[in-house]
Parts: sequence; C-alpha cells; structure tokens
Amino acid sequence: MSSQDTLSRELALRIGLAARALPDTDAKRLFNVLTHCVGLPITEDKLGSINLKTLKTAQEGEFSNIDDLQLKKALHILKTDAEMGEALAPEIDAYSEGDMPGSVRIAFASNDATNVDGHFGSCSQFMIYQVSADEARLIDIRDTGIPAGLEVDDKNLFRAELIQDCQVIYIASVGGPAAAKIVKLGIHPIKLTGSESIAGIIERLQTVIAGTPPPWLAKVMGIEANNRFRFERAATG
Amino acid sequence: MALYIVEADCISCGDCEPVCPTNSITEGAIVFKIDKKTCTECEGDFDVPQCVKVCPIDNCILPLEA
Repeated sequence: MSSQDTLSRELALRIGLAARALPDTDAKRLFNVLTHCVGLPITEDKLGSINLKTLKTAQEGEFSNIDDLQLKKALHILKTDAEMGEALAPEIDAYSEGDMPGSVRIAFASNDATNVDGHFGSCSQFMIYQVSADEARLIDIRDTGIPAGLEVDDKNLFRAELIQDCQVIYIASVGGPAAAKIVKLGIHPIKLTGSESIAGIIERLQTVIAGTPPPWLAKVMGIEANNRFRFERAATG
Repeated sequence: MALYIVEADCISCGDCEPVCPTNSITEGAIVFKIDKKTCTECEGDFDVPQCVKVCPIDNCILPLEA
C-alpha cells in the first residue's frame, strides 16, 4: 500500500471514479492495471499517455473483455480534472409541489449529466427538471440501475415508471416498444436528432412556454382549455 | 362522413399529411386539420383510415359526429 502514498488525492479520486465506470472493477484492480501500463509513481503526465490499446493489453489483457466504450469512458475520467467530475453530480434544488405554477416536469436521458446523450433503455440516469417560463430547477437525478434483489421483468417499463411523474422526456434515441410504454404512462417522448445540451433544450423550451405553447403542451401543463385557444382567435381572427 | 383532429392532442408531427389519399390534411394555424368536405375516411382507397393508422397519439383523430 505504500505505493499509494505517492498518489495525489486528485489522481486517486480519478482512479476511483474511472473504476466505477468499468464492470466488476474496483479502484485496486484499475490501479494495478495502470501500474502495469505506466509504472510507479502514477502521474498526470503518464496517465495522459495511456490510450485505449495500452489499457486493453496491459497486464496480460486484464481488461480485454471489457467493452471499448466503457474503457473509453474510464480513460476520459482518468484524463480529466476531477473538478469536472464534481460537475457530473450537480446539486439538486429543493422543490415542493406547487412551487412553480405553469411549469412542466421534464426528464432527460443522460449519461454525463449535462447532455441528452442517452438511449432510453441504456442511459445511466434521468435528470429531472421542473421548468417554467422563467425558472428551471434540477429537482432529482434518478439512477436507472435496478436495485439489487429486485426482479424486473421488463427493463423499459421499470425505466418508464421511474419517470412516471414527468410530462415529457427527451432522449437521444428510443425503440418503438419502449416508446409505446412511455406514452402509455402519459409521458410525452421527444427524440432528438443528435446529442444536445440539457441547458440548451431548457432554454428553447422556456421560450415556447413563455410564448404560446402548442395545445398538447398546454394541456400537460394544466392550462385551462379556455385560455389555450387565445392563440387560435389571434391567428384566425 | 369525415374525421377530425383533436386539437389538444395533436403534436403537429405531420405524419398524417402525406398518407391522406384525398389530400384533405393540411397544416393549420395551430395544429394539422382535416378538410371535412373532402375527407372520405379512406373509403374506396383503404380498409382503415390511413391518418389514424400512422398517428402516434391515441384517440387524436376521431370521426366527426354527423
């Protein structure tokens, strides 16, 4: 363990976070592989020199069975400032029902907590925002991991039920049957054409809410039908 | 005999417009709308109304009460 004394707190944190991104890997296992890659002491510069191939072949291919994508993610964590890592877990704002009149609750399928970059069935978390015309609060982050001991027949239904209180969900992609389950729970799925930042989407949505929301959105926002059709009169009259 | 689009439910996806055999569907000021004078509910062209078939929202396109 004396070798770890030479590891800076920052790097130790990164290794811990990166290990979590890999299946069946604790910090110690990752640390051993990294030691094999670059030797001791592990420094920031040395970490920067590791690429996917070296990581995959190190220690007689200890990580050769792990998916490239997961390894890339771990590498990314190893090479980026852990300050960024803290941004990965943004603070949750307090919210109680009725705090924000005229608002909608939106779920964003995300892997990195800042972008809608997730597939409905595989994203690591749903970021839950309450959005009104002039305010947006992150009110919850829901982990999509199935709790140990819980038997789930239908993963997509489990995920849809996680966000049952939301009116809209933004996803980077979703399959047909999964979308049907989302719709059945009264949630409106919106699929983006590519990865987009959550902040950008919220900003756009706020312009829509502040202006004239389309009838289906007005309906889920709970705006009375009478107030909804002002636009029609304005547009046709 | 015609269909209409429930304004509160239509999400303006536009999927129904190209499948209408009588070109009765157009984009209105708020959402899409069906011209009741030309809508045939697809009779003579298809077994089921095509707009209802492609519409992603349940009960969004309904028969007009005559």
